[in-house]
Amino acid sequence: MEIVKVENVSFTYPNESKPILKNINLTVEQGEFIILIGQSGCGKSTLLRHFKSELSPHGKKAGTFFYDGKRLDEVMPEKAASEIGYVFQNPDNQIVTDKVWHELAFGLESLGVDKHTMRRRVAEMANFFGIQKWFHQKTSELSGGQKQLLNLASIMVMQPKLLLLDEPTSQLDPIAAMEFIQTLNRLNKELGITIILVEHRLEEVLPIADRVLIMEKGDLLFDGDPREIINTLPPKHELITALPTATKMYHLLDGEGPVPLTIREGRKWLAKKKVDLHTGKQLPVASGISNTIVLEAKDVAFRYEKNATDIIQHLNLQVKKGEFLTIIGGNGTGKSTVLSLLAGLQKPYRGKILLHDKLLKTYRNKELYQKFITLLPQEPKTLFVQKTVKQELEDTAKYHNILDDKVEEMIMQFQLIHLLQRHPYDLSGGEQQKLALAKLLLIEPEILLLDEPTKGLDAYAKEELATILKKLQVNGLTIVMVTHDIEFSAQHSSRCALLFDGNIVSEADPRTFYSGNNFYTTAAHRIARGIMNEVIVCDDLVILCKKD
Amino acid sequence: MQKRLSLIISLVIIFIFIPLTLYAGIVLFNDRKYYFISIMIIILASIPFFLSFERRKPQPREILIIAVMSAISVTGRALFVITPGFKPVAAIAAITGFSLGAEAGFLTGAISALVSNMFFGQGPWTPFQMFMWGMIGFIGGLLGRTGIMHKKIPLILFGIFAGILFSFGMDIWGTMSLYGVFSMEAYIVALTSAVPFTIVYAVSNVIFLLILARPIREKLERINNKYGTFQ
Amino acid sequence: MKSFETFHPLVIFAFFAAAIGLSMFFMHPAYLVITIFLAVSLNIALRRGQFFKDWKLYVPLFFLMAIINPLISHNGKLVLFYINYNAITVEAIVYGLSIATMIVSIILWFSCYNETITTDKFIYLFGKISPVFSLTLSISLRLVPRFQQQLHKISNAQKVIGMDYRSGSLLHRIKCTLRIISILITWALDNAIDTADSMKARGYGIGKRTSFSLFIFERRDGIVLLFIMFLLMVNIWASIIGTTTFYFYPTFSIIQWDLKNILFYCSYFLLLAIPIIIEIKGGIEWKLLKSKM
Repeated sequence: MEIVKVENVSFTYPNESKPILKNINLTVEQGEFIILIGQSGCGKSTLLRHFKSELSPHGKKAGTFFYDGKRLDEVMPEKAASEIGYVFQNPDNQIVTDKVWHELAFGLESLGVDKHTMRRRVAEMANFFGIQKWFHQKTSELSGGQKQLLNLASIMVMQPKLLLLDEPTSQLDPIAAMEFIQTLNRLNKELGITIILVEHRLEEVLPIADRVLIMEKGDLLFDGDPREIINTLPPKHELITALPTATKMYHLLDGEGPVPLTIREGRKWLAKKKVDLHTGKQLPVASGISNTIVLEAKDVAFRYEKNATDIIQHLNLQVKKGEFLTIIGGNGTGKSTVLSLLAGLQKPYRGKILLHDKLLKTYRNKELYQKFITLLPQEPKTLFVQKTVKQELEDTAKYHNILDDKVEEMIMQFQLIHLLQRHPYDLSGGEQQKLALAKLLLIEPEILLLDEPTKGLDAYAKEELATILKKLQVNGLTIVMVTHDIEFSAQHSSRCALLFDGNIVSEADPRTFYSGNNFYTTAAHRIARGIMNEVIVCDDLVILCKKD
Repeated sequence: MQKRLSLIISLVIIFIFIPLTLYAGIVLFNDRKYYFISIMIIILASIPFFLSFERRKPQPREILIIAVMSAISVTGRALFVITPGFKPVAAIAAITGFSLGAEAGFLTGAISALVSNMFFGQGPWTPFQMFMWGMIGFIGGLLGRTGIMHKKIPLILFGIFAGILFSFGMDIWGTMSLYGVFSMEAYIVALTSAVPFTIVYAVSNVIFLLILARPIREKLERINNKYGTFQ
Repeated sequence: MKSFETFHPLVIFAFFAAAIGLSMFFMHPAYLVITIFLAVSLNIALRRGQFFKDWKLYVPLFFLMAIINPLISHNGKLVLFYINYNAITVEAIVYGLSIATMIVSIILWFSCYNETITTDKFIYLFGKISPVFSLTLSISLRLVPRFQQQLHKISNAQKVIGMDYRSGSLLHRIKCTLRIISILITWALDNAIDTADSMKARGYGIGKRTSFSLFIFERRDGIVLLFIMFLLMVNIWASIIGTTTFYFYPTFSIIQWDLKNILFYCSYFLLLAIPIIIEIKGGIEWKLLKSKM
């Protein structure tokens, strides 16, 4: 039975000439798990919001939405509010109240449910989601993953039939994201809830999806089985880079037969393919890094308070001139702390940090941040104070006495020209990051530190960031980046280090590093391990296998 | 109907309950229970504001903006913890009033006081602080309608006025706390001894108003244009 | 082991409203002695170490208030000496001491209040009378810690581009601080829209709201509440018939020690001692329970 039907829907935002949705037609069956993908600005969030009448944007609309056999605007508001649930991108923004238990009950309070029913439903959901342990906590004390689970649970207490989720994992670390996606899978498989999920972690979600919708510039480009995407998309389509590694391999090697989606299927497929391993081709190894050390940590230990435990201990790290170093590690290993120590924002209580063989703490702040070091924070928004992109750049230029030519150069380099009059907050995540980088690099530092720059970016924006960083590296900038993103690190950095329990446990060039790890490694390596051990990214396979 | 009822209740409170309390204070309690009476009056005087907010059934976005502005002034109060008296609370309540009207101004001021005391500790001063900061936001809201608060001179004058108003109001409480009775002489002593504080209040108000009024107004306008919050 | 705070918020709130209200009202020496004694006792029971730290604040405050009154008020018959032809009288000194006792005991009651009425109890209580206001409070309370974290992030980010609010000239510092606040406001308002949407998405405003709480009104809550109400009435009655009235000027009234008055004093003592009685009872029951196991 169908739960949702979309008939000839078009939509245009006020003050825009082009429609964001163009004549969309769609039906959703009860119990389906649907992934909705597309580049930023393609209209996917707009479409998703239209399913939830309370959130549907203002603008010129044509066509009809049906829910449960009725026109959506004729469905009773109580029914719409409780049966259609919506989870937003940012875990923090959705939380309304200050206590976990109160947040869980918020929706039920709005629906006017009596106290006994509330108690039962809250208890039920707290159990299903494993919230009992933090049931009495303040919402501000939860981790990002817990917050997003709470948001989901506080919608589930209203017993929805249709769940709409707009990039719910983009702000989470990989482990929390996996847990969230598995919970969604459980809701779908165990409770039969219909799910429409906008997501760009396709590696994890495609294997559990029943159906995929791809939107492009307001059109529905694809609607079907996840395994059919690769054969339907035009070759060299930008979305291909976002597909699961197994599928990409299949595509790059002109595969035939059923399309693999998971690592397991990828391994099976690759083993069957019987690639010729004796072509005598060699994979490139990152080279040409200078041995000049610009920044160095020696036996550094750090804690936030006198009686707290050490977050960083025995940290030894050398940053070499002109390299692109990525520091990877799980949650709570102290990645961001390492970065703020290197940036001089925190001071170690033991050990030394040296910049050009001179103690970091002996530099004056003004000198340090004008000549040597800059840090791109996790949230670029923390840098923006002006009303337009242009003013934002001029603000920094004025403060640091930078010439207009340099500003123009940055605008060109970061392709900001079409955004100059926009408000920084109205930019997409990727654009905000470019603006932040442009702002920081106006000051011409020697070392650029980045704190999880790929968080929340889609595949296309990640590629763009990589291109920019590589170009900067070629121009002589030293780059240090902490990240959860193994794939990005393997593909683009010149050296990798693994942080665990407050210190660096291993470091090497990406090929040695990732082909040496069993679990903490890229999807491509996990697929090719045992067959072609030195493979760490998809492109390696092409080099090894393709006959030119 | 809704509006009318809350208006009636407000009028009853202002013209019947408050005079009754005063009368009871003077006649029944022999003019001696200043402390109790003043707190009662302050609480009674605040009720109409909360009541009209309650009965109007405000939209989520209005609730959020008031909560955000209050939380900002509480955070700001904590940021300037080392400088006594030099706090942005009054300025932020007033600016909220300028842009969003007298009611929003009052609520922002009052909630800022209540919430910040939830962190720093409640006391008998809480109702006074709520009322004084609320009033500054309220008057700001009334003045905001005239449109003159975009200019510098009115802002400076308002800042000074708000500083003096706050000082005068809080000193009523201070006088009664120290002397137990309210006498004009004691009040004047309190006011003169509080002059340095009054100056700090006024100066900080002027600084915060001059620097923050325009950006906050623009930010609220942006939100309004982008999302249609207060239509 | 704390017992009093496990009672229903309504009971706790009723107690403090009665205790603080009556303490502000009664200037009779017997009543003042009772309130300060019990306020101190409850402070020790509930706050222990913290209370003894606060002494540094209370004692000077007490003496300051006690000294100021005789310097200002020169009424009274029992003149001790003259300063600049102004009489310093015993009545004025005692009155000063009484006011100081009253104010300090109110502050002490408030510190117990702060300890027991936690924010969620307050929000629950006001949610009954004023749901929108209490929701606004709850949101505000949730935002403050979040804003503090964000403030920290913003100030670090700004430091790197030369806007360090902790160094440079005073003007530079103020400018940087306000810049940080300005960034925080833009960020906060933008995020608030999401929060408002999340409220709407969960049906806020479509019908009459009910309120959920973890608090359960048990039989013992009813009993204690009735007890508080009864004693409050007795004390109000005492005030109406004049038992609690005491004059300092022109000279002291006489403190009555007949049975009727003693009974009234006891009723006041009993009312203000409710939390302590509950604490002691809870402590004993716990010990008995432990010893039987």
